[in-house]
Formats: sequence, structure tokens, C-alpha cells
Amino acid sequence: MVVQNARLLKDEATEEKGDRARMASFVGAMAIADLVKTTLGPKGMDKILQSTGRGHSVTVTNDGATILKSLHIDNPAAKVLVDISKVQDDEVGDGTTSVVVLAGELLREAEKLVNKKIHPMTIIAGYRMAAECARSALLQKAKDNKQDPDTFKSDLMKIAMTTLSSKILSMDKEQFAKLAVDAVLRLKGSTNLESIHIIKKVGGSLKDSFLDEGFILDKKIGIGQPKRIENAKILVANTAMDTDKVKIYGARVRVDSMAKVAEIEGAEKDKMKDKVQKIINHGINCFVNRQLIYNFPEELFADAGVLAIEHADFDGIERLALVTGGEIASTFDNPESVKLGHCKLIEEIMIGEDKLIHFSGVEMGQACTIVLRGASSHVLDEAERSLHDALCVLSQTVNDSRVLFGGGWPEMIMSKEVDELARKTPGKRSHAIEAFSHALQAIPTIIADNAGLDSAELISQLRAEHHKEITNAGIDVISGGVGDMEKLGISESFKVKQAVLLSATEAAEMILRVDEIITCAPRKREDRM
Amino acid sequence: MAAAAAVLRAPSSKTESYVDTKRRDDVRQANIIAASAIADAVRTSLGPKGMDKMISSANGEVIITNDGATILNKMEVIQPAAKMLVDLSRSQDAAAGDGTTTVVVLAGSLLKRSLSLLSAGVHPTAVSDALHRLSIRAVEVLHSMAIPLDLSNRDALVKSAATSLNSKVVSQYSSLLAPLAVDAVLSVVDPAQPDIVDLRDVKIVKKLGGTVDDTELVKGLVFDKKVSHSAGGPTRVENAKIAVVQFQISPPKTDIEQSIVVSDYTQMDRILREERNYILGMVKKIKATGCNVLLIQKSILRDAVTDLSLHYLAKAKILVVKDVERDEIEFITKTLNCLPIANIEHFREDKLGFANCVEEVSVGDGKIVKITGIKDMGRTTTVLVRGSNQLVLDEAERSLHDALCVVRCLVNKKFLIAGGGAPEIEMSRQLGAWAKELKGMESYSIKEFAEALEVIPYTLAENAGLNSIAIVTELRNRHAQGEINSGINVRKGQITNILEENVVQPLLVSTSAITLAAECVRMILKIDDVVIVR
Repeated sequence: MVVQNARLLKDEATEEKGDRARMASFVGAMAIADLVKTTLGPKGMDKILQSTGRGHSVTVTNDGATILKSLHIDNPAAKVLVDISKVQDDEVGDGTTSVVVLAGELLREAEKLVNKKIHPMTIIAGYRMAAECARSALLQKAKDNKQDPDTFKSDLMKIAMTTLSSKILSMDKEQFAKLAVDAVLRLKGSTNLESIHIIKKVGGSLKDSFLDEGFILDKKIGIGQPKRIENAKILVANTAMDTDKVKIYGARVRVDSMAKVAEIEGAEKDKMKDKVQKIINHGINCFVNRQLIYNFPEELFADAGVLAIEHADFDGIERLALVTGGEIASTFDNPESVKLGHCKLIEEIMIGEDKLIHFSGVEMGQACTIVLRGASSHVLDEAERSLHDALCVLSQTVNDSRVLFGGGWPEMIMSKEVDELARKTPGKRSHAIEAFSHALQAIPTIIADNAGLDSAELISQLRAEHHKEITNAGIDVISGGVGDMEKLGISESFKVKQAVLLSATEAAEMILRVDEIITCAPRKREDRM
Repeated sequence: MAAAAAVLRAPSSKTESYVDTKRRDDVRQANIIAASAIADAVRTSLGPKGMDKMISSANGEVIITNDGATILNKMEVIQPAAKMLVDLSRSQDAAAGDGTTTVVVLAGSLLKRSLSLLSAGVHPTAVSDALHRLSIRAVEVLHSMAIPLDLSNRDALVKSAATSLNSKVVSQYSSLLAPLAVDAVLSVVDPAQPDIVDLRDVKIVKKLGGTVDDTELVKGLVFDKKVSHSAGGPTRVENAKIAVVQFQISPPKTDIEQSIVVSDYTQMDRILREERNYILGMVKKIKATGCNVLLIQKSILRDAVTDLSLHYLAKAKILVVKDVERDEIEFITKTLNCLPIANIEHFREDKLGFANCVEEVSVGDGKIVKITGIKDMGRTTTVLVRGSNQLVLDEAERSLHDALCVVRCLVNKKFLIAGGGAPEIEMSRQLGAWAKELKGMESYSIKEFAEALEVIPYTLAENAGLNSIAIVTELRNRHAQGEINSGINVRKGQITNILEENVVQPLLVSTSAITLAAECVRMILKIDDVVIVR
């Protein structure tokens, strides 16, 4: 006898096949897309993220990547979408919501086609053609103003304002756009955002935020030390300044009198004094240590007129070493091999209620610090996320300076081209291509919906407008109608749009290809009951 | 019948112009209701006749206060939107220090109005934008009402500090505390930077016993500690030379583990003698510099002083205060204009501070150490707060902190504004008039919000047991006739020119209350979902 239904999988492992598997992926992916849909566009709404962990901390955000990152997700297809949003965040920094929404819409359209018994592979083939066509349409329409620095700068301003207008900073977007553009232009083309340091301080309002062309360290200067140094030579170190302990376990000394103990104590003090002397011998007047500096060395530094900063956090000193051009040292025997950092002026400044240390005239001219002020830590966190998005987009745009209009304009352009392609293409694929164009139109529809506008009316107007040869029409959310994007100054980076298009298509394709989901048996836990 | 039910139950078809927003509306409504509940909880504590709240915490501790920030901080709020209101009051505390109740009540009232706007079908972002414009305009109105202030005008400063204190438990002492707060802040203002006040330079020391009347401003330094005189050391030193030491006067201890091996009886004697000599040596070095007061930092590694060292120090007529916290060292050295000494080898005369008198004074049930007549004293000051029980003492400290903040606000932004609900009514009137010039949703929303501002005078009157409707309508009438400084005089129970009653507050408190409340409400309005995350 042949055993029927031989079991392939373990006890608790499950398997879903064919239509059911596809259905599960579609539903999961669309649920995720619907969740973040309402945050899209300048009038998008925010979400409260309530943590189930300790403290029930609350985050208020409309940054797609942040929302998706923190969700509990079980559905495999939904995880794919979360991943593409993360990648989008790492790669270009903005468009994290758009990419998920577009992928969701592509799948929604695909579901309809699958129900019409069109094979997923045919849909994929159609989507690929459509994506290629849409990309070339974008390429044709993209403008490049790299040669003209003034126009380029105003392009950057527009992009920054467009990015910020969908965030909490929308009310002060001009100020922040200028801030972000200035910071990015200082980088001179590098995409290393490390040297832009963002400090958040509660109090004041968002308007009080400013860009500082130095470096600010959120620490205090030791007692009795100079509060202001010009032409500072800075030694950045990571060394123990409490006690130099012997690191052998169980090391101990045996003596037979109190005087000997006192001698050893004296010897330890001398050792520390030597170390401090060695450090001072580097010819420095500012010493920044990652670890604590105890009272005794602190006093020695004060006597030598050296400004000593203790307990600077890891990030802080790495960045400080970077911007002042120094290296982090941990031994001090060879003064010539240690690279010191330099800056023109170190002084104590006061922001709000707190005192901070300000390094100006640093070696690395690119470095700067943005000080954010705001009513509460929620506002500040969200402002930082928004500003980070803007900085990312700008630094990408500096490298790839092609620019598009915003407000649903690129989607409509792509949709029109893709529609034409559908008409030319024979066979079932044309259905898929048409579906792609539908999915593209969903983005302006959602933007209009979120703003409480009549999307059906607006989209049809927009489509009619785009049927003309040359048009700059897009949705003007502020006035609630169709407007000229060039006049309104709404621009987006080509790179972001391209990334949205390509990764959303890829993700949709990947999910479409799935026809079986195997859930592995969960690892057994010891029963602790 | 069945057919009709089926139609109703059918999922609302998702046509392009109709979007199902039920869940989002529900979330928004729940948030607004929760946040207004918080506002209602503190509403009764607003104003000079506001009531206090008793908060008993989980560990049985009881606090009586009417400071909005404190009440909200102690409430264990879980609802996320309600938490934002708690944060709002904290921000106001950080920004202005006073008006923490006002800002929450204002936000609650604005939220209630937005709820009715939303149910009337206005889009949340439209409401939010209108609110933003309103807050900008409101600040302009406030600026136009403001009265510039000269810092040399001490009376005006005292008046505004008194207004803040009048709403507190300790209001009967406002005539004492208000000038005290003003003097404290003015004495730490650095003439080189006249706009910056660091309140950390004002130290508040609380001591149980006596009454709030005995609260005093000490030109010098006060420690809530006893002099260590177990060995009979001095408790009063004149012409003191003070050293702040960060080392320990006790038998030596090394960082590396050590042990002393004693093999016979004679060695024990020797060790005892050596220990005595070691400490005596230290004391002699200290004495040699002429130092006669020692402030010793607390040490966790070993005893800061031992009985033996206290004995020798007492012999040398040196007054010792031990267990000084490391955080306080900076304040102390700044005040005494001296440097901390971390090693006996560095004990030099030039690191000492000088004072006319250091003495132990007994107050109430305890003793404190006072250092007065400090030579070249830094720009710091100390306030010694007294109270007959812990609750009064704590509340007095909080009220004093508010008063200090008020004075600081005035130093930062040298403008005063009338109190007693006058600015709110004036804002409401002018914004209401402005709303009529606008069009559409904006006009509608701004009109609603302008009315929402009247919650402050309403609540003031209500809390004082007055007929709120009669009072507020009369107030409105007076303002319409151009008397922009008329406000509610809670003591007399009628409308008077509030400036003549000396009820004034800093402009910064009012402006920051309106902008922060608007910002918070806008944030709550923009939320359409609560997502549970890890």
C-alpha cells in the first residue's frame, strides 16, 4: 500500500496555495497601503503611534517610513512593502509613503485582472513595459538646471518647500527650506549627512530654529576652566580619566603599614598626574573625552588652563573629531603621531535654558549644526524627521540635478504615455498596461481626497488639461483646483520619482509572482507554566 | 423590509467622490473628547479664586497644589491625545514658567469648538490652517496691547510677580514673596548680557518650620545641612577662609585592591599611630593655608571624613560641612568665587574663598549653615523658604518658582500686559471683527475660535463665584467701547480698569500660551488614526 497524503511539513507548519495565497498577499499589501494612504500630500493627516512597550510612549508622525517601521506585521506581502519603504528612506529619503501607496494601487489593479483570469505573468510583462515607458516619459520631461547656479538654487528651494509642505514644518516651510538648502550646499556635493548635526531643544517655537555654521556640543565645561578659547587646539580622546586600573582580575597589593598604603595612593595620583601632563604636553588647550573626567584631573586641567569636556557621547566625539579634523586618541606617549583638531573659537552659548559649547571656525567647512526649537518633544521629533527627509532629497538632487514638477503632474504625464502605449500594444498585456496607468492616477486622486476636495472632478479636469501638448497642470491643494505647477513653484526631484516608480513596480511584481505561502512551524518554547 | 435592510448593510460602494471616513472621524472625536476631559480637570484651579487639587500618589504621598503643570504631571494619563495636553502644559512651564493652567484650558476650549466645526463639515486641515492664522493675528493683538517696561521700574516687576502669586495657595504672602522674587532675579542678571537669566543661579532651599512669613532672601549661601561637630568643632567662624575640597580626609585607600598584613600586636599600635599621623599631616597642611571652613564633597568610594579627622579639624578650629553634592559644587564655587581643590597637594591659599561670617543657625526643627558677607560674590542668590508643613512648603516653592519665571520673562521680553481676562476678551473682540472681513470656511472657523478665547474670563468669573454670563457680557461691552484694559476684578466682583488694580502679567506668558495652545490643537486635529506599535 502506498501511504496517501504523505506529510511533507511539520506539525504546525501551514501551506497556502494558488489563489488563496495570492489573495492573502493582496489583502495584506493593500491593507498596509491603505493605512499610510491618508498621510500622503500636503494635507495628509498624522498618525499616533502608541507603543505597547514600557512607558507607552507616544509618537505623532506622518512620515511613511516611520509608521511602517514600527508596525507589528505578520503578513509576508505586507513586509515586502515595509521593506521597500525602508529602502526608499535609505536611498533617497523621501517618497516613502508614495512608494507604498503606488505598490498598493498596482496590486489592487492586478487583483481585478487576476479575477478576470489573466495570468499573473502576463500582468507582470505588461507592468514592466508600462514602467519602462513611464520612466522614459519622465526622462523626457525632466529639466536640468545644473549649469545655472541661480536657477539651480531656486530649484532646490522649491524642492525643499514641496517636501516640507507635507510635514509639520509646512507653516514655516520657507525658513526651513532655506535652512536645509544652505546646509546641503555647504556639503559641496557630498551626500554624507553626518556632518550636519541636528540638535533638538524643547522650548520656543519652530520659528526660533536656526542654522549655525559651527559645531555645537551639548555638554558643560569643567569648573574653573576657561569658558572661551580662541585658536583652539583640540585633542579628542577616549581614555579613562578616573583611575588607571590594572585589568587583571584579583590583582591586589599587600603591605604592612598605613604609610605604604598612602605611598601607593600617592603613586596612583602621580600616575594620573603624569597622564594629564602627557596630554597637556601635546600643546593643546581643549581636551574632549568620551569617558568621565574625575575631580582630580579636572583640577589639573583647570590649573593648566585647558578646557576639558567630560563624558561626551560617542556620536558627539566622532563627529567632533570629524569636523575639527582631529583623530580620536587613546594613548598619549607619542605626541607627534596624534592628529589634533583645530578651530577658531570655543565658547559657551545659551539656547533656551541650557548651556552648550559652541565650536566655530572648524577645519571642515562643510560642517554645520541645525538647532531645532519647538513646543514639545513630539513636535521636535517630527520636525527632525521632516528636516531629515528634506536634507536627504536635497543632497540627492545636488548630485542628480534633474527636476520635475510636483502635485500629481509626473503621475499624469506617465499615465498619459502609458495609456498611449496600451493602445498600441496588442494582446492581453494591454489590459495590464492600462491598469498601470490607472494605478498611477490613484496618487493625485488620493492627494485630492486627503485635502477634502472632489477628486473625481479634479482628476478629469487634470486629464483633459494633460491632453494638450505642453502643460504644467497639477493639483493645487491650497486653492482646491487645477493649477500651473511652474507658477506655484512645486517641484520634485527626478531621482525620488524614479525610485518610487521602479521600486513600487518591482515590489508589486514580486508579490504577484507568489503562488504559495509556507509558514514555518514556530519554534517550540519551554513551557514555563 | 428585508430588502431595505440589505441595502443599508451593503458596503458603501467606493465611488471616486465619496470616501468612507467614519473611522478617522471616530478617532479624531475620541482624541478631542479625551483631551478636553483633561482640560476640564484643571479648569477649576484657574485664577486668583481657583480651587486647589489634592493629589495622592500611589505611594501614599499627598500633594496640594493649583499649579496646572504639577497637577497634570502627577496625573497618570494614558490616552495619547490627553498626554499631548500634559506635554503642552510642560512646554508652557519651560517657555514661560507661568500660565500652565491657562494654556490647557485654552486648548480644551479650542478643541471643543473644533469638534463642532468638524461636525459642521469643515475639513480638519482647513480648521487647522485657520487656527494658525488666528494665532499669528492674536499675537499681534497682544503686542498692540502691551506696555513697555523699564527694568529699573521695580514696582511694575513686583506687581506682575504678585499677580502670579495671587492665584496660589500662598497668596496671602504675595506682598512678601513678590519683591523677594524680583530681587532674586535682578541680582543674578549679568549687566554684560542683560537679556539672559539663568534660573539655576537662584537656589531655593526649603526648611520645615516657621511660617511662609519667615522666608528670606540670603545674600550668600545656605546649606540645608548641619555642621559636623560631633568632635566639638566650632559652629561659627568670622572672617572665614573657605575651601571647597573634593578629596577625602580619611585613611588612604588605593584604587587597586589592597590589604594590610598585621603579624603581631606591636604592629597594630604602629598602624594606628601611622593613621593618626597621616590625618594629622593633612589637617596641618590645611591649617597652614589659614583655611578655617571646609566644605567637603560627598564621596561614594570612601568616608569623606572620619571621627578621627573631625577631631583633629575641631582641634584646629576648622568648621566642617560634609556631604556636599557634586552637582552643587559649580554653584558653590561660583558664589564663593573660589576654586575646588581635588588634592591635598594643591591646597593653596589662592584657591580659597572669603566670607565675613559662616555660622550654623537653628531654624524650626533643624539646623542650616549660612555663609554671609562673601567677598567678590558671584552673581548668584539663595532663597530660604519656610513653611509650617511639608505641603505648604512644597507649594510655596512651586509658587516662588512661578514668580521667578514671571520676572525672568519680563527680563527677557520687557513688556507687560493687563491680566484679569482683559487680553483674552480683547483678542476675542478684534479677531471676531477680523473674521467678518474674511470669506468661506476660514471666516467661519475663526469666528468660532475667537469665541473660544472667552473661556478664560468665563472661568475666572465662574471660579470666583460670580455670575459669569453677566460679567463676561459686561466685559465685552466695555471693550467694545474701547476700554481695552478693563478686566474682571475678582476681589470686588466687578469690572474695573485692571491696570489700576495692579493686575499685570508678562506679555511672554500670554503670547506663548496662545501659540502653544494653537500648535497643540492643530497637532491633535491632524491625527486620524492611532496605530499600536511595538
